[in-house]
Amino acid sequence: MTRNNQKWYDKPFTKLILIAIAITWIFPIFGFLLSSFRPPEAIKRTSWWESLYTGEYWTELTLQNYSEVFFAENLSRSFYNSLAITIPSTIIPITIAAFAAYAFAFMDFRGKNFLFMMVVASMIIPLQMSLIPLVQLFKSGIELGGITIIPALDINGTFVATWFAHTGFGLPLATFLLRDFMMGLPRSVIESAKIDGASNMTTFFKLVVPLSISGIAAFATFQFLWVYNDFLVANVFLGVYKPENLVVTSHMSQIVVGLFGEAWHLRLSGAVISMIVPLIVFFSLQRYSIRGLIGGAVKG
Amino acid sequence: MKKLTQREKLFNFGISVLALGAFPLIWFLSQAILFRELTEIVSRNVLVVIGIIVGSSFVFLLFNGMERLIRLAPRERRDSLEARMFAGPSLFMIGLFLFYPAIRTIYLSFKDRYGKSFNGVENYSWAFSDTEMLVTIRNQIVWLVFVVFFTLLIGLIVGWLSDRLNKGEAFFKSIVFMPMAISAVGATAIFKFIYEYRPPPLTQIGIINGIRVSAGEKCSNNRIIEGVLNDYADPSCNRAIGWLQQRDLSNLQIGETLESGGWLSNLLVNFPLNTVLLLVIMIWAYTGFAAVVFSAGIKAIPADIMEAGQIDGASEIRIFLSIVIPYIKSTIIVVGTYMVVTVLKAFDIIYVSTRGDLETNLLAVKMLDEFSKYRNIGRSSTVAVIIFVCVIPIILGHALREKESNSL
Repeated sequence: MTRNNQKWYDKPFTKLILIAIAITWIFPIFGFLLSSFRPPEAIKRTSWWESLYTGEYWTELTLQNYSEVFFAENLSRSFYNSLAITIPSTIIPITIAAFAAYAFAFMDFRGKNFLFMMVVASMIIPLQMSLIPLVQLFKSGIELGGITIIPALDINGTFVATWFAHTGFGLPLATFLLRDFMMGLPRSVIESAKIDGASNMTTFFKLVVPLSISGIAAFATFQFLWVYNDFLVANVFLGVYKPENLVVTSHMSQIVVGLFGEAWHLRLSGAVISMIVPLIVFFSLQRYSIRGLIGGAVKG
Repeated sequence: MKKLTQREKLFNFGISVLALGAFPLIWFLSQAILFRELTEIVSRNVLVVIGIIVGSSFVFLLFNGMERLIRLAPRERRDSLEARMFAGPSLFMIGLFLFYPAIRTIYLSFKDRYGKSFNGVENYSWAFSDTEMLVTIRNQIVWLVFVVFFTLLIGLIVGWLSDRLNKGEAFFKSIVFMPMAISAVGATAIFKFIYEYRPPPLTQIGIINGIRVSAGEKCSNNRIIEGVLNDYADPSCNRAIGWLQQRDLSNLQIGETLESGGWLSNLLVNFPLNTVLLLVIMIWAYTGFAAVVFSAGIKAIPADIMEAGQIDGASEIRIFLSIVIPYIKSTIIVVGTYMVVTVLKAFDIIYVSTRGDLETNLLAVKMLDEFSKYRNIGRSSTVAVIIFVCVIPIILGHALREKESNSL
């Protein structure tokens, strides 16, 4: 059966169900996006569908909400903070994981299989198991039987705490996925490079990394979206009380939280702004992002 | 291989320790201290720029430093040292950020609120007797059942049907997949706008209440016209409902008709409406993921099997149930496992919408609240351990099944 050769009655019905589902999925965003361009008092005065129906919607279009939330409400600062969190939190784990993946894929050392098993096992540990000890570690270090192993760092509430946390939580998956990817590379190429006298560093940077670029990109998109959209880690390690420490998600959560909030113009425009970056990343790297997100299915 | 002298052995051992433990540790500490100090000194904008550039590239210093050190080692030892150096930082970070904390959290779950003295299983008996915790556990179960069932079901439908289109398959899949790219905070904002309730006589701007109050000939949503209350709405009209405060079906017609009856209607009257409305957000966000994975699985079904089914005159639904579902069974289990784990860790939606009040709490939110709101380390750790214990059998079962199917 070719896929074109289907029974005549199937197609319209199939399409009808799919269109119904697609409309259901798009509809929540539709009204939300439309409303974000209405003046604050208009949002409260009439519902968006009525304003569309009466035509009043088109006479009042404005970008005022966007400029208010971005500048007056200072979502811009949170946005830069988000970038300062997300970019290092993507690059650090990928770098560390790529080296480790190379070792697990192409090098021999004692305990290799056992150590790799530990990497896989660490994927089942949920994030929640790490939060309290890490907050304590970042604050007052680790002491074991009176001996200081890690000194008091007092880094809670700084970017670096969040980078470390995201690195730790992202590493198991990154190591696992990249090793899987590198195992698929032609072994003979890597071996012949070694025979030609290339050092491991050279083989890694000149050969393995360029060949693994699509695997790296898949994980990078996943990690980028995950960190940018993360709220829990930012909430715990960066805090929500100092306004200069807010990232986009925690800032938005402050605007969105509350049962009878009337600041809908800020919620609407702020949420739309918060979606722009991930959607651009998602659609421009769709080839990688779908694979990354699916691969990321096992992230702890 | 020549025998190593005592001196050489010591030297090699020293380098191993340096590469595996000391070097990652030095990197960790120096990056931490450097940026802690920078936070104090430089302005925010400079910090953001330095953070992006230096924060990202600092890790290369680690590998560069280790590489230099290893050049000091004798040639024949270099390879195995280099392997440790490559894998070391990853293992170090996983150990420090996942294994050590997991053990410590289990340890803390048997301690009091300050994490000082042991109090046996008191935290655990609290977890399974406290009214709020019991509601939280009930909600977690409701979330698991509804979210897993509907993401799998709708995901299967979209994956199966879109595969049979001549064109537009990618279009439908990306529409349903798109919410995956949006943060849970953003998604919650979107749905709060749909569920929005405003006390009458204000105009309802949430679409559900908007439709509800304007249903009927004499009913209208716009009751304030030019600042004057224009209360022409008939008393028989529907009243707006605060959906997220609706912990059962009271106030609703269906709830009133069920009021007196047997156990089934008693059960339905207590239907946790706000919880279900909130979990819809998660279904919306994750169905696309399921659909894309299923669609990949369905594409892998050999065409001749489907053809055979069609020649035998099986109906489409029959083919779906007897060929497609059994063929992608393992994919369904994988996605189901993933969804169960994701639901157990669901946090953002509740935290941003109701903050866990109104009987909508979930375990992950409760865990954080116990920690940062009530400052009870023991109980918070206990809730984390409960999440962990729920996750283990699911993933282990999955891993065992994987192994079995690989060995076949």
